[in-house]
Amino acid sequence: MPTAQSIGGIMESNNINHEIVRVEHVRKVYQDNGVPVNALRGINLTVSSGDFSVIAGPSGSGKTTLLNIIGTLDKPTEGKIFLDGEDVESKTRRQLADIRLRKIGFVFQAYNLNPVLSALENVEFTMMLRGIDSGERKRRALALLHELGIAELAHKRPNEMSGGQQQRVAVTRAISNDPRLVLADEPTANLDSETAIKLLELMEKLNRDDGITFVFSSHDPQVIERAHRLLILKDGQIVTDKRNS
Amino acid sequence: MIGVVTMVLTDSLSVGMIRQMLTNQIGADAGYIQIHKKGYQENPTLKNSIPDPGEVRAVLEKDARSCNISERLRTFGLVSSANNSSGVAIVGVTPQSEKRVTTICKYIVNGAYLSGNTDEAIISTSTADKLKVGIGDKVVIMASRLDGSVGSEACRVVGIFETFDSGFDQSHVYIPLQTAQQMVGAQGRISEFVINPADAKRTDPIADKIRSDLPGEFEVLTFKQMLPLLVMQMQLYNETIYIFYAIIAIALIFGIVNTMLMAVMERTHEFGVDMAIGMSNKRIFIMVLVEALYLGVVGTTIGFLVSFAIYVPLSYSGWNLAMFSESLKWLGVGTIIYPTLTVSSLTNAIMVIPTATVIGAIYPALRAVKLQPYEAIRAT
Repeated sequence: MPTAQSIGGIMESNNINHEIVRVEHVRKVYQDNGVPVNALRGINLTVSSGDFSVIAGPSGSGKTTLLNIIGTLDKPTEGKIFLDGEDVESKTRRQLADIRLRKIGFVFQAYNLNPVLSALENVEFTMMLRGIDSGERKRRALALLHELGIAELAHKRPNEMSGGQQQRVAVTRAISNDPRLVLADEPTANLDSETAIKLLELMEKLNRDDGITFVFSSHDPQVIERAHRLLILKDGQIVTDKRNS
Repeated sequence: MIGVVTMVLTDSLSVGMIRQMLTNQIGADAGYIQIHKKGYQENPTLKNSIPDPGEVRAVLEKDARSCNISERLRTFGLVSSANNSSGVAIVGVTPQSEKRVTTICKYIVNGAYLSGNTDEAIISTSTADKLKVGIGDKVVIMASRLDGSVGSEACRVVGIFETFDSGFDQSHVYIPLQTAQQMVGAQGRISEFVINPADAKRTDPIADKIRSDLPGEFEVLTFKQMLPLLVMQMQLYNETIYIFYAIIAIALIFGIVNTMLMAVMERTHEFGVDMAIGMSNKRIFIMVLVEALYLGVVGTTIGFLVSFAIYVPLSYSGWNLAMFSESLKWLGVGTIIYPTLTVSSLTNAIMVIPTATVIGAIYPALRAVKLQPYEAIRAT
């Protein structure tokens, strides 16, 4: 069922059946001290609009590698990646950076906020990269922080916030440019269980109310049990792909 | 900062030294403008002196009213004492007017300058030592007369001078103009008019005006034509200083490359995150260059402050280089160098230093944009 999301005045229509990501026969081999390592062995998957998917698996199963490839941070050794129907293989680095800016939001395990910028400035940063003028991006950033319940952190720097607060700001930054997709790599790994649950509830709310598509990599049971769709990787292959009812 | 300080102080000291050489030469003897009979510059003999200076005086009365003017008779001869003799240029001057165009009177170290009495002479310290004479002693001055015979005059040493230029000192003796004219049988003749404008910047226009009003049998020369070697030295310095700037810039570039490379390596993770959230290579490249430019601007500003803190007191007190006094005397420079800061020194530093920092940052910026986002994010 299509839903409309509106953040800061931009309207985005999400058709639940719209394919955002398509991964075709992706293999990734990298060299580890001269020894080839098969990180991914023939991955095929699609991610649809509105999905709340978790890629789980033991360490070394290829979760982060797959997320990096979907997010155009890395290139596959073989296979193709389609984002919003576009084959990213032929894109230049500049075009890929533009795709990441406009279509993908990232949430990292280590938050990765800019330590010299306040929460507000961190959220404004990606909007600044898009060329949105100062007054408008400040307005949108404040609205987002308010929506996520962390408006009081607007003028605080990361070293003045807890881990959970920093991750919330990171989530705010990730959605500030109305991305098609948010990729979260072990977002709860550095958080205590209570804080992790609150973060997950926030992301579920964004997924439910605003139709934002999330793809996580995680081995946290709290994350896995909330997944609408669970993909389990083992030794670079998808061994399980099921949707929770 | 160090680059700016080096550039500014070296340049100001060098310019100060060269200008002092020029000022000393102009002040000691040449003056800003000289008028001779045509051909005198190439062959400065009595035969090429001006027989009737009245015509020149009339033009100078009109064209050089605000200038200080002196008239000289110059010839070459011998100054002798009972002990020794020395070949010298014998310069006959009118003391009162000569004092207004040259600075010899300020370099009297013993006795006094010429007062106008006909049997006076002033000689240099080195000549006095050579002749073994002192104040009040008699010397005989001898030179060829206009008719080819030999003329001489006995003079009493009333003053001993010592300038910055030991070569000049050894070769000059000053006596009253009338005494010189009588000694060489050249009454009424003048070898040169020396003219100093009130404003040195007016030298060329005044010389041009005099030149246009005087008949063709006279030559009007400015100090640039009288001291071509010195002027060439200044021009050479103005051109070769850029080599010095280039050396400083190259050294600076190497330093900046090292500093910015370290900064880029340390910020690999940050750049990776910036790339991940959509920062383009172009923005990252420009960001690194702009950071280097800030570095250059701040360094230049601090460098100027430090330079001024050193330059201002030095410009008043001078820099005493007494340990190099012998060499400096041969160059015609005093032992105390007064640095001179020029606008070009400042503008060159402003242009060179920030430009060099940006150039030095290009390679590190290229390294930054070549980072792979996924690898950079993993860097600690």
